[in-house]
Amino acid sequence: MNNTATPQVKKRPEEIGILPQTIMYLILFGFTILTLYPLIWMVINSFKTTQEFLMNPLGLPNRWFFKNYPLAWRLANFSTLFLNSILYTGISTIGIIFFSLAAAFAFAKIKSKATSFLYGGFLIGILFTIESLMIPLYLMSFTLGLTDTRIGVLIPYIGLGLPIGIYLCTEFIKSLPDSVVEAARIDGASYFKIFLYIIIPMAKPVIATVAIMNALGIWNEFMLINILVSRSDLLSLPVGIMKFSGALASDYGKQFAALVIGTVPTVSFYLVLRNRITQGVAAGATKG
Amino acid sequence: MVKPSRHSTKSEERRAYWLLVLPAVVIYWAVTAFPLFFSIILSLTNYSGGPIFAFDFKFVGLNNYIRMFKDPYFWISLKNNAYIILVSVFGQIPLGFIFAYAIFRKLVRFGDFFQTMIYLPAVISPIVVGILWQTFFSPYGPLTKIVQHFKPGWRSTFLLDPKRAIIPVLFVILWMYTGTYLIIFLANLQKFEPSILEAAKIDGATEFQTLWYVILPALSGVIVTTVILAISGSLKSFNLIFAMTGGNPARRTSVLALYMYDTAFRGAPNYPMASAISMFIVMLSIILIIFTKAVENRYGGRE
Amino acid sequence: MFKKSRMISILLAAFLVVAVVSGLSAQEQITLKVLNYLDLTSPGTEREIKEIWEAFEKNNPDIKIEREDLFGEPFHQKLEAYAAAGNLPDVIYMWPGARSATLHDKKLVKDLAPFLGDMADEFVPAAVDPNNQRGKYLAMIPIGITATHMLYVNQEMLNDLGLNMPETYDELKTMVPKLQEAGKDVVIMGAQDDWVIQSVLFSMIVGRLAGDAFIDKILAGEAKFTDEPFVSTLKFYQQLFDDGVLTPDIVMTPYGTSPALFAAGEAPFTIDGDWRVGAFLTDPATGEALIPPEKQDNILLTIFPAIPDEVTPNSTSMVLATGFGMSAAIPDNSPKEEAAWRLISWLVSPEVQKIRLETGAAIPSRKGITAEGLEPLVEQRLRFYEKYVGTYVLDDVLPPEAYMPINVGLQEIALGMSTPEDVAAKVQKGYEEWIAGLEE
Repeated sequence: MNNTATPQVKKRPEEIGILPQTIMYLILFGFTILTLYPLIWMVINSFKTTQEFLMNPLGLPNRWFFKNYPLAWRLANFSTLFLNSILYTGISTIGIIFFSLAAAFAFAKIKSKATSFLYGGFLIGILFTIESLMIPLYLMSFTLGLTDTRIGVLIPYIGLGLPIGIYLCTEFIKSLPDSVVEAARIDGASYFKIFLYIIIPMAKPVIATVAIMNALGIWNEFMLINILVSRSDLLSLPVGIMKFSGALASDYGKQFAALVIGTVPTVSFYLVLRNRITQGVAAGATKG
Repeated sequence: MVKPSRHSTKSEERRAYWLLVLPAVVIYWAVTAFPLFFSIILSLTNYSGGPIFAFDFKFVGLNNYIRMFKDPYFWISLKNNAYIILVSVFGQIPLGFIFAYAIFRKLVRFGDFFQTMIYLPAVISPIVVGILWQTFFSPYGPLTKIVQHFKPGWRSTFLLDPKRAIIPVLFVILWMYTGTYLIIFLANLQKFEPSILEAAKIDGATEFQTLWYVILPALSGVIVTTVILAISGSLKSFNLIFAMTGGNPARRTSVLALYMYDTAFRGAPNYPMASAISMFIVMLSIILIIFTKAVENRYGGRE
Repeated sequence: MFKKSRMISILLAAFLVVAVVSGLSAQEQITLKVLNYLDLTSPGTEREIKEIWEAFEKNNPDIKIEREDLFGEPFHQKLEAYAAAGNLPDVIYMWPGARSATLHDKKLVKDLAPFLGDMADEFVPAAVDPNNQRGKYLAMIPIGITATHMLYVNQEMLNDLGLNMPETYDELKTMVPKLQEAGKDVVIMGAQDDWVIQSVLFSMIVGRLAGDAFIDKILAGEAKFTDEPFVSTLKFYQQLFDDGVLTPDIVMTPYGTSPALFAAGEAPFTIDGDWRVGAFLTDPATGEALIPPEKQDNILLTIFPAIPDEVTPNSTSMVLATGFGMSAAIPDNSPKEEAAWRLISWLVSPEVQKIRLETGAAIPSRKGITAEGLEPLVEQRLRFYEKYVGTYVLDDVLPPEAYMPINVGLQEIALGMSTPEDVAAKVQKGYEEWIAGLEE
């Protein structure tokens, strides 16, 4: 999995005949248009006033109206939303990485009878969906007074990110030679020193993969935070956008501006880190 | 495994193990196993609000499950989940594979560009995607406007048939997640030694024969994995549908997760029944995954 | 030297005093949790936040407000969740009837009559009559009055097409072909959310054809939803689709989009709550309006035309008002109670009612509130309430077990998937289950 570099097959695009190839291109262009058109449409309409959108929903604006952005920004309090999203994403990603690596190190390099049970428990979690647990999680949080708190959001985010994190980290650390740990042990290093000074530095590639995968997922997470948090100063970006737009927007201009604001971070994140994200998604799927 | 050296005693090793493992285990079990247990109990009671530890409720056996199975909206939701699985397994996975194969074998140019475009929807917040397509498909939205441009007076009656109300949702799901499968297949295709494929070519195998006899058998493990992903992923469609249709019209686009949410939070909150639905989803995903695994074992498959 | 050090010590002492006093006052600051109902996209929202909520905090530095703004279904979901967990906010936006049933029935909010005292005389009598609230006590002070059904008419379009405002349903029906010919819809509604039809249309129909007295009979156990009067309301509703007055498109149209579609001239009529007047007014932030003031005279705010065999003619469904209540969990005579009351009395004060009137958010529950420079539509709305009789709003008087099947059933009838009889049976079944649950 570490080597996903494209093999240097010298292929010429002539092998399958011109008709299938044309069909292929048509389908691919179709998908491309399906992706680009709604996005471009959204961006263009964010520069129209609601009144103009009503008269002219498909074309370019006659008058480019830029104020939708500051207006939407202020109304939905996007500064707070962004800050919260960054906070939730950042802290839970760091938490997931740290706890995953620690557990993975133990699973991979320290012998214990408990491993098969505990590790197996995490592996099952990969296939579980948060959705199935949202009501019990909510009731539990409510009972413990954790709703409407930041920690009440972070704990489930970390907990639900652990299975895939632990799986990827364990497989990675297993692939490191035992001799690395053995040698350090012989030199008298404790397991914690080995973890901090040997394992973590060596695990950089898997850390990047886990970080990127979780960051995207948590940034876009909506359902859990929607039911766990209602105080407007604790909301994240998707919840803010849903509240602002969704079923209540008769004000298209600001609605589209809000949607653009919500789309820009993840799309630019993806475009910048495209290869890493691709690798991460592929790596996460190798084990069922 | 590291053999115990003279410096490490068994007890130090054990202590280190548990200290490393415990934080993850505690957090993970606290947000999965504990709620699961909690939910099983609750689903058997008639709890109707108030502090839970006041124990102001009675056990009612399987009543909540019986009520769930009798509810037509449960079956509608279940059916929609099944449609989503079908779209994933017979839509996203084959399309994803075909795209990946075309890009891998360089049957088309600009593979990188297409890959980016096809995967892009998956990184956008489902909430944004849902709102966008809701506007797009609404009877007065751009879809109608575009078609009316060519065919004046056209109405989107096609989507008004309640049996078809789920189609736009399925379409958006297909659009959103095909890229994920493309990436998974492409990554696995790229593990092939180019020499093997070249050898097949030299032996006179056609493109199709190479695909059928060399590539597909080797990918059977990956295909099973994607099917499992599709099944567990189908239960994740809550966000998109919540934003796009809210389960309407007439609850015809509801899915199990939304049905559970509605039971818990709309109208009269019914937490025990919502917990019963939650348990059903858990059982269902376990059964489906075991079934898929069994198929994998039966028909073999190597990675 | 001496002088200097003395000055320093005086300064220090003064500083200490200030620090202690401010520290103390900071400790004394009372935090009030508020659950508020607010449409973020409504043009008046910025004013409401600034001039009502922020102004209160500025004028009452000893009170800190933690406000949660929700709108539509999420508001009710959240409120139910709070109530279920016994964790209510201190001051709560609430409905006088079944929409806030839990608060009334479990007496989760205080009786505000003792707080209000003689001030009650300043309000419209109906607004502070305990009998108008579900629990028969003054659980909340209403900020205004709401008609959930209003027919918005684009008179200019009717004139252009050579049509007149219909007085009866039959007249409306005969307009259908002409409008279709002109490529227009008849009535636009954004009813993708399932509460919409019940709240803004069907409640009015039930009031007209079955009457409040019949609903009272059902609630008293003397009649059923499956009886003819209720079934006939569903049949009339179904007829609206058969006659082409409504199209099934409405249940695919997002609620948020209908004012814009009406303003864009897709149809000469739209049916919505009176609160939607606010959506057409000038947005102070952009200076633009869906319907600019100079064109607002073309819009008529009225009610659905007369229906054959009406029991209650000339009526619309009204909820007396929404307003603010105080959590019963606040200890009696505590500083927190005083703070909560200070907030509630501010929220129904003449100043605030004037602001809400100007933004079109609410029609005053106090006597004699007017404002300068109202847009024509708001003026028209002020006069609306005097003209019509008010009937029940179903989700205000029925339990969720009964109105949820109505909500979904109305969508099913729209799509031709259910008959009036089926829906009535489901509603009756849900209602009986609720009764059985109470007796358990």
